[in-house]
Amino acid sequence: MNENGADMRYPLEGIRVVDLTVVWSGPGATALLGDLGAEVIRIEGNNRLSRQASAKTTRAMVEHAGWHRNTYPDGDPEPRPYDRSAIFNWHARNKLAACMNLETPEGHEAALKLIAISDVLVENNTNRVLEKLGIGHESLLELNPRLIVARMPPMGMAGPMSNYLGYGPNFNSLVGIAAMDGYEGEDPDSAGENYHMDEAAPAGLAFAVLAALWDRDRTGRGGLIEFAQAENVMQDIGEYFLDYQMRDRNPAVLGNTDPSLLQDAYRTAEDDRWVVISIRDDRDWTAIGEVVGDADWLSLGGTRAQRQANSRKLRDGIAAWCADRPVDDIVARLQAARVPATEVMSETRLLNDPHLAARDWFKERSHPAVGTYKYPGHPWRADGFDLAFERALPAFGEDNEYVYKGLLGYSDERYQDLVERGLVTQEQLA
Amino acid sequence: MSGPDDRRQVFTGLRVLDLSRWVAGEYATKLFADFGGDVIKIEKPGDGSHTRRWVPTPDDRPEPEANPLFLHLNTNKRSVAADLRSAAGRDLVLRLIARSDAVVESFRPGHLEKLGLGPDILHRLNPKLVITRISAFGQSGPYRDREATGIVLQAAGGPMNATGDAHRAPQRKPGLLEQYTIGRTAGEAALAGLYHARRTGKGATIDVSGQEVLLSSADRRASYLLSTAYSGIDAPRGVRSAHRGSATFTGPFRAADGFVMIYITNQEFWNRLVRLIGAGDEAFQQRFLDRPRLGDDWDDFMAYLHAWFAARPKIEIMEVAEAARIPCTAFLQMDELFVHPHFRQRGAFVTASHPVAGDLDYLGAPWRMRDGFQLRHTAPALGAHTAEVAAELGAIGATSLHQDVSRGTLP
Repeated sequence: MNENGADMRYPLEGIRVVDLTVVWSGPGATALLGDLGAEVIRIEGNNRLSRQASAKTTRAMVEHAGWHRNTYPDGDPEPRPYDRSAIFNWHARNKLAACMNLETPEGHEAALKLIAISDVLVENNTNRVLEKLGIGHESLLELNPRLIVARMPPMGMAGPMSNYLGYGPNFNSLVGIAAMDGYEGEDPDSAGENYHMDEAAPAGLAFAVLAALWDRDRTGRGGLIEFAQAENVMQDIGEYFLDYQMRDRNPAVLGNTDPSLLQDAYRTAEDDRWVVISIRDDRDWTAIGEVVGDADWLSLGGTRAQRQANSRKLRDGIAAWCADRPVDDIVARLQAARVPATEVMSETRLLNDPHLAARDWFKERSHPAVGTYKYPGHPWRADGFDLAFERALPAFGEDNEYVYKGLLGYSDERYQDLVERGLVTQEQLA
Repeated sequence: MSGPDDRRQVFTGLRVLDLSRWVAGEYATKLFADFGGDVIKIEKPGDGSHTRRWVPTPDDRPEPEANPLFLHLNTNKRSVAADLRSAAGRDLVLRLIARSDAVVESFRPGHLEKLGLGPDILHRLNPKLVITRISAFGQSGPYRDREATGIVLQAAGGPMNATGDAHRAPQRKPGLLEQYTIGRTAGEAALAGLYHARRTGKGATIDVSGQEVLLSSADRRASYLLSTAYSGIDAPRGVRSAHRGSATFTGPFRAADGFVMIYITNQEFWNRLVRLIGAGDEAFQQRFLDRPRLGDDWDDFMAYLHAWFAARPKIEIMEVAEAARIPCTAFLQMDELFVHPHFRQRGAFVTASHPVAGDLDYLGAPWRMRDGFQLRHTAPALGAHTAEVAAELGAIGATSLHQDVSRGTLP
């Protein structure tokens, strides 16, 4: 099976992925395929916001956009907002971008040519979008039987609610996650927000694509992956689904507490810096007692039963102890005593964190559209092969020539004609 | 065996050794087991996996052979009871390693080496082996040996500092969600390693740091990190949808019998909502239609909305909102999910019988594909396959082991 020689650098070298994803979960999935060395080509129409950022966004507009302004380098979206938004660029590493408007005959033709020479297509649009564009999976699999088409409709492609409108948190609520989310003993409220469905989909989708490639080696055939994101994220509360059947009860809102641990988030002496501490067992309790030294509540938590019975009182005691101390001091002393504790890390703290620096986690990259910045790194690393982190992002249309002329074999004249007619651009118009 | 059990799946013929004892590792290997792999769990004699003991409320007593968490995470796996600190247990693992494609472990960093099962030894035995190591902070770096729990991982890796109310504590996500994210990602890493090994003949050792998995996640953390790198400003707490700049609102509202989650993210949704809740109330509609943002009248609007929601059951709200194409869904609980017509009609749950837990509906395919998910059998009893696996290995049948094997445990 050694296709390219034993020193193949990346697992998915030579695999081409057509990326029709938008927003969060789909782009997160194709980023993982790009990490593995696949050639991920985003097809972007210049008539739509495929990057979630409008070409018309101005400096003046983001002045009133609250924190959202910080999505852009130095708070400045100009001149090309769609190349400068962190909402796109967080997942854009390694990807290529080609301008193709699928609603035009020329764009449609180019897309089909590209799909015919690709291994994988990933999309997370609303059900039926591909069919309306004339590129439903059935026709694509006829065109290219080795193609793997991964579709990610939140509720699946069929079923009574398959076309219901919603964002990630809407589907979290349907599968039972939102009902568990919130402050201890209060009404459920994903205070701030919980986008767990978006977090769960990318690695699942990448696994599914790898599994389909694995199977294709044997069968020679690609096929459809129906990735219903709600059914994927539902796995993450599978124990509660069984517990309901065995004990006839629904999960409670536990906030930062835990059924087996004595734990919470505590305010420290520093402004809006919080620490989380978990006591797992009697040893942890003895250890935190030695760190704290002397306090009346320390006699109330020696056993698991006591820690459960006196949970509120003990957490109040720990809270009082934390309130007088700087967060680094609390974490260092508790970790030295082998008690699980960490600061609730802000982004700034993480960007300057010595552990992540020692592991070389952030990757500094330059791109003319943006400048030089640190980018979030890979989810994991391997000894035995590499993960790719090449170009930080593709500017809109940056790879037009490579895709049209290099991959699709368009002549200079034909390519130039598309450019002159405004069908292939390096600017997003919408 | 005959019939449907013989149906080929994606990973038929692939063997994965599971040395993990907690959710992330067991979820990573469940992905292989549910799609056809032969996943052999090595469990500590007597105790078994920690997931046999985790309980959802403080008052529960664990039932190791019928614990919901273990039953969920270990479908389609085999269990071998073996003590890795004993010569016989280590010998068994080394023999299995020689015949396995991948191993997943989640011990503290360095522990595998202490057991004499470090990557160098395993790769000498099986150069194609893909070793996936899951830990809280990774196998290197100054915090490598730090202690962690789920909330510690969420605080160090997840977007926790941007959740919760502005003047209250940051809010973790519920359940064991962070563990699943880490496990699913570790599964993806292992399969990537296997694909590379298949193409090149070379194995790999993969370092999965739970913190880094969460830092890179689509649950806004990666985008927040990049935003801060771009602008120097941290993501705020107490602001719903920090990435969204326009005057919109999102969140849960109380209905007559529970809650609904609404997502009004643009003017179109806003106008549809004004027309829906203001049906028959011309004055309300005139006052609020086409308003890009509200001022002092925000409270009036919200009071009207709260009253409208509070008077109606959550499912009715969801249905009329959907009919008007407004993103607004009901909060369902497990009892409602269990009977839900959409998921039932899709066959999202699979009934199976377990010798101790009886008949239960398990969650089915996380996604659908050719040669995909099957529930071949429920989670194994501790050591249920010790003798079977020992027999498959053949050469292990030293007489001194015989008694232990027949008890279902290796010393």
